Amino acid sequence: MSRPSMTPQKRAQPDSQSQPPALPENERILYELIKSRKNMGIWTADMKKETGLQNIVVTKALKSLQNKNLIKDVVNVHNKARKIFMAVEFEPSKEVSGGSWYSEGSLDTEFINILRKMCLKHIEELKVATIEDIWKSISASGVLKVACTMQQVLEIVRALALDKEIEELKSTGVGEFSTVQTGKVCYRSLRGREAPRVGHLSSIPCGVCPRISECTPDGVISPKTCVYYNKWLKLEF
Amino acid sequence: MVSQDALNLAVSLMTSHFGDLVAKVCGCLLQGGTLSLQEIVRCTELSNSQVKNGLLVLIQHNCVQAFSVPKQAGAGGATKSLTQYMALFDNILHRMRFTKFLAIVRDDLGPQCETLLEGLLQHGRLTFDQLVVRATSKQSEDSSSIRDVLRKNLERLVHGQYVERCPRPEPFIAPTSEEGTASARRRSAKSKEETYSLEQQAMIAAALSHAERFSVITDSGRESSDVKDADKQDVSVGDKRKFEVLELDEEVQAAITETEVLWRANFQKFVHCLEKKACVANVRSRLGLDAGVVLEALVESSDQEKDNFVKASMDGILEAVRGKPGGISMTLEHIRIVLDQLGCSSSIEDNNVFYKMEVQCIIESCQNDEVESLVLSRYGKEAYRIFRLLIKKGSLVETEQISDITFVEKKVAQGILYKLWNDDYLYMQKVISIGAGQLQHFLWKVEKHSLWELVLNHMYHAALNLNQKIAHIVEQEQEVLQAREKREQLRKSRMILELSLLKVDDALMLFHDFKR
Repeated sequence: MSRPSMTPQKRAQPDSQSQPPALPENERILYELIKSRKNMGIWTADMKKETGLQNIVVTKALKSLQNKNLIKDVVNVHNKARKIFMAVEFEPSKEVSGGSWYSEGSLDTEFINILRKMCLKHIEELKVATIEDIWKSISASGVLKVACTMQQVLEIVRALALDKEIEELKSTGVGEFSTVQTGKVCYRSLRGREAPRVGHLSSIPCGVCPRISECTPDGVISPKTCVYYNKWLKLEF
Repeated sequence: MVSQDALNLAVSLMTSHFGDLVAKVCGCLLQGGTLSLQEIVRCTELSNSQVKNGLLVLIQHNCVQAFSVPKQAGAGGATKSLTQYMALFDNILHRMRFTKFLAIVRDDLGPQCETLLEGLLQHGRLTFDQLVVRATSKQSEDSSSIRDVLRKNLERLVHGQYVERCPRPEPFIAPTSEEGTASARRRSAKSKEETYSLEQQAMIAAALSHAERFSVITDSGRESSDVKDADKQDVSVGDKRKFEVLELDEEVQAAITETEVLWRANFQKFVHCLEKKACVANVRSRLGLDAGVVLEALVESSDQEKDNFVKASMDGILEAVRGKPGGISMTLEHIRIVLDQLGCSSSIEDNNVFYKMEVQCIIESCQNDEVESLVLSRYGKEAYRIFRLLIKKGSLVETEQISDITFVEKKVAQGILYKLWNDDYLYMQKVISIGAGQLQHFLWKVEKHSLWELVLNHMYHAALNLNQKIAHIVEQEQEVLQAREKREQLRKSRMILELSLLKVDDALMLFHDFKR
């Protein structure tokens, strides 16, 4: 019968490197719980619920574990107010951190904008380029301090296409596409050719009017008395 | 059935073109569907003669079609025919587009034909004689020479299908239930496939055949129509006397035609021309000038214009391209590349390469542009990116995925999606996943059909507002006749409004008339 011998301490034995130094009972229970959640971490309220320990005990134990550099707190992208703890050896998962574009629980807009500008610049220089071309060109320029992956560049480029800053095409292999293999997906700048076109409806006040649903020919809000119209036509009597 | 916004716009157009009485009759028909004279009188509370006159104006201007149905007078009484009237919504809206129609004819056939068409548009429907009277009253030239020129121009217009003979004034619609019972079963099986409403039946019954619509005036054998040609072939050569009689008949026929046959503008053709124009403009802005030229050539040389695609041989395309400005310099290879870029598929038939293209794709792209632009100006750049992603995907996408792909912070993305959903721009589906705990996921999608309808109604409303504002400014212009500065300012505003109305109408056609 090997069952009785499988105490928690023994189960952790094979992983001798992460074997914690002898911990007080409360800290040990909490540490094992936190570690068992791997890269997902655990919220303090959940810890209290699962261990049945008292508030003050948990807080004290967590502080002690943090001081011993066994656990760390991580910002949860879904709910920044919820404190999540994780064993130091794990990197937060995408669900917790928000993915490679997030830092400290919020979108790293600075990095994204720099990368956007770089992608645009390189696509304009290359005229027509595949994603590999763009990535290589950016890496070779050496402007970025941190290395970016091709996947990251691809994600940025796709968002640029959604903004109509660039367009995604299939190479025909001739003319301006001569540098790209036929049938391969490539990107081309749209600057000066097709910026988001101003639609016919959105170019008049009614297109963007927040009160259009209340506007009637003889109502309180009507085209005859419309302030947006008068502003647009510079009519002030 | 048209929406309330569309109805308001139509009535507003009628008011500004024909006054309140006619607009009231028209509004009553648009609202109530097909009605008889008595029903209109009851509904509008106008006098019998007022309604009659209103209907006459509307029929003259092709805004109403009459038809008759049998009606039993009392129980077991004799069957009499009852005249019903229905408003033609599309034709009413076409009244906003007359300047566009005139420009098309001016570009294609020159100013003389434009003047002739102008007369037809102004008066709705006219006989050739009436057109002659209209022209001679303006000029002091010899009326017979004017008559010849006019006849030639009318023939050119009819030949180009810009002008057609008017449909039958009052077709009789026999009820299907009174037909024999022998074929009832067969018919019921058939009627499952094609059941037409009374209005549709009336339109079909009123419509002339293609040959009838575009048969020109026969001028004592000099130029004869397709129909008459067919008649002539039946006469044997030896039967000389009979032939003479027929020729005489033709002269009489021509005289009758000139005095009795009514002509009107063929709106269908103009809608088609404007559709082509919109497609070419879109392609030109997306793929460059050459692509515009090639597409125009493809559409023009297309020999079989089916419901949703154009198809033409390379030779035909080449010939049409050569006839266009800038087309001379294009090489065969270049044209081929452009056709490829346009997304044409090619096939070989009888040793000839044919190119086929779905016009609907371009129309859809134009529609997307219009709605996307609306999202951009109403909800901002991030919403625009999200909306474009959802249009591109065309299926349900989860909030997190949307946030990841579009680089919009999750909370912000949620807010934008909610706002778009709240304004009926998006469809939302809630999914609950049961894992460690219950988790709610939100899936989003653009339901094109309902959204396009929403946008179309928004456009009707916008067009109505522009129309009303124009009318209001015209009134104000009358009031400030003395103050020159104010008058000038009002005139400028009116021009901006009129131009905007034409533009909004372009968008309207994109969503209403270019649907195939």
